[in-house]
Amino acid sequence: MSSTLDVPPRERSHGEAPGGASRAASRARRRRSGRLAPYLFLAPWFAGLLFITAGPIAASAYLSFTDYSLIGAPEWIGLDNFQRMFDDPRFYQSLKVTFIYVVVSVPVQLAFALFLAMILDRGLRGLALYRSVYYLPSLIGGSVAIAILWRQIFGSDGLLNQVLRFVGFENPPGWVSDPDYALGTLIILNVWTFGAPMVIFLAGLRQIPTMYYEAASLDGAGKVRQFVQVTLPLLSPIIFFNLVLQTINAFQTFTQAFIVSGGTGGPADSTLFYTLYLYQRGFGNFDMGYASALAWFLLLIVGGLTAINFIAAKYWVFYGD
Amino acid sequence: MHTNRSNGARTPWPTRIGVTGGVLGLLLTTAACGGDDGGGAAADGGTTRDDGPVTMRMSWWGSDTRHAATQELIDLYESQNEGVTIEGDFTGFADYWDRLATSTAGGDAPCLMQQDTRYVREYADRGALLDLTPYIEDGTIDTSNLDQNVAETGAVEDATYAIPTGVNAFSVVIDPAAYAAAGVEVPDGESWTWDEMVDTAAQVTQATGGQVYGMQAMGLNGGDTNFEVYAREQGEALFDENGEIGFTAETLADWWAIEKEASTTGAEPPPSTTVEVFNGGVDQALVATGAGASGFWWTNELPALTAGAGTELEFRKFPTTEGDGETGMYLKPAMFWAISSDCESPQEAAMLLDWLINSEDAVNIIKADRGLPVNTELRDQIAPTLDAPGQAAVAFVEEITPDLQEPPALPPQGAGEVQAILQRYTEQILFDQISVEDAAEQFITEVESAIA
Repeated sequence: MSSTLDVPPRERSHGEAPGGASRAASRARRRRSGRLAPYLFLAPWFAGLLFITAGPIAASAYLSFTDYSLIGAPEWIGLDNFQRMFDDPRFYQSLKVTFIYVVVSVPVQLAFALFLAMILDRGLRGLALYRSVYYLPSLIGGSVAIAILWRQIFGSDGLLNQVLRFVGFENPPGWVSDPDYALGTLIILNVWTFGAPMVIFLAGLRQIPTMYYEAASLDGAGKVRQFVQVTLPLLSPIIFFNLVLQTINAFQTFTQAFIVSGGTGGPADSTLFYTLYLYQRGFGNFDMGYASALAWFLLLIVGGLTAINFIAAKYWVFYGD
Repeated sequence: MHTNRSNGARTPWPTRIGVTGGVLGLLLTTAACGGDDGGGAAADGGTTRDDGPVTMRMSWWGSDTRHAATQELIDLYESQNEGVTIEGDFTGFADYWDRLATSTAGGDAPCLMQQDTRYVREYADRGALLDLTPYIEDGTIDTSNLDQNVAETGAVEDATYAIPTGVNAFSVVIDPAAYAAAGVEVPDGESWTWDEMVDTAAQVTQATGGQVYGMQAMGLNGGDTNFEVYAREQGEALFDENGEIGFTAETLADWWAIEKEASTTGAEPPPSTTVEVFNGGVDQALVATGAGASGFWWTNELPALTAGAGTELEFRKFPTTEGDGETGMYLKPAMFWAISSDCESPQEAAMLLDWLINSEDAVNIIKADRGLPVNTELRDQIAPTLDAPGQAAVAFVEEITPDLQEPPALPPQGAGEVQAILQRYTEQILFDQISVEDAAEQFITEVESAIA
């Protein structure tokens, strides 16, 4: 707020004629009501933020220092919940599963999205149609229905294995019911939802002036060289944006694992995502205090990784001139 | 949203939300929809419904059949009791507990709730359930005709927190035709041993070239009960009367060794098929789809299994180690009715509870869906009206009752986790990730911390 706006009307009317004073006052009133209006419009959103987001966040911060069974009253136990994590083998298992998932699925998904965006960028006929079709999985990929469908397709006798048997594989595994493959199947499901980053890449590619490519090809650069020397640097802010966003998203994966494993994180904890474990502790095992601590720890991890991402970005993201 | 509760004052928003504390933001809707249930001057204990209309919520888990039958019960009760409105609230078993816990946390627990042995103490010990003793003593809830084997199973020390709805027994369900088709002698169930069960099952799988598996896994579906029966046969228990672990690591390792043997000899399907079959529930049970000769199921699940199988399935007693028929099986309270300690009209809820278990009208509608009715007079009365699998369940329970053990006391807080832990280690054993001995040791450690 600038200071002139905050000057009370009485001071401002000092020394003026009575008529002028009332004019000034009414002007100030008008101005004040003019200042109120935006806040009124913001109020519903702000109330939502306060009660539906900020309130529970504060509550979970408090609960993370308590032993809270959901049914009884929370009981203050200090840092016990956080200490307990370090002795909890399932906590480590859930971290391991989640990190593998993020580290594998995000780069693969982004590479795939960029690859398709570049193909689409060549000016195919019916681009709008392709764009929509490829975007579709992003819209529905996180849904319960798709997870159920996925479970059917990748089951022991699912569509995939029927095809595999038909082409001669005798004993294809149960892709979601074998601990060696279950996580991989979920990674593929995530890669499959490449549409959202693809659309952003596509927009980014369109921003690159064609003269750079013309100049490069005049200088004798081939397609690969053009990609490495022109496309990648100019697209790097977009890649960075997608990387940060998809990493955060991947850490929060819940629905797919919940549905595919029937809520257990099985078989044998092979799909025990961090959020799924947190959910089990909080809502299944009357352990909301510990679940809150897990949630805050996840926030630290994601926040830390995002910070690292931003620091590293200085070395590879190119913001033009 | 359940807004037409009584005229109580609203609980202030921030408190409500603070208590509910949404870690995932998932339960925010619960908090927001919870409104209007603050303490008010609604019908308190002792008042009759003449004082004005009463609205209460009632919750249960179950299949579509149960939902339809329970809705019919509600309609009938409302028509017989003017001024009473009952709101039904139902889901599947797994989601039920998430939901009950969050609604209890939000001060919005259903008045009358279906409960399970594994969770009664979880709620009762934390003061979320009403002690029903006064209502039993003043006759509002009549327990005189209840099956004496289970009538007291909802008691913790001097208080009674839950009344069983009915009884069932965890038993072996076999498809005699599947054994016969494989040219394997149909087990008689009187003197069979665990080894014989696994051997005959492996023969079935072998004879049919894997088209029909001999048995379904022990450690997944109802695994905690399966092991409990085994432990009791050995003179041990899952939990002793003090709520402590009542078995040794050796016993658990022995039981898992049977499972492992069944898996390696092909008596059971390959592990990943086993996991899928388990995730499919009763509908995908091996005996229900014609893909298996035996499995472990509750007696009240026979109708559902038979519906899928299309052939006649039969019950057998659990195998024993010695083959002496001295089984560890017991009659279990199938499920319970309990009343929330937050309930504004406990008297009304108690009357409804009594009606559900003791009224002929009610039992005629629900029949054996919540277990064979706990009221023995009514059980005998409806037995002839049941369909064939229902009658088979009645006959089997009557036949084995003299051989059964007493039902175990209510397990301690945290018992709801045991099944999931057992399932996880069973999967690790089946997939060769851990030895049965290590699994048994780690299982005990984990259960100890769950019930601590």
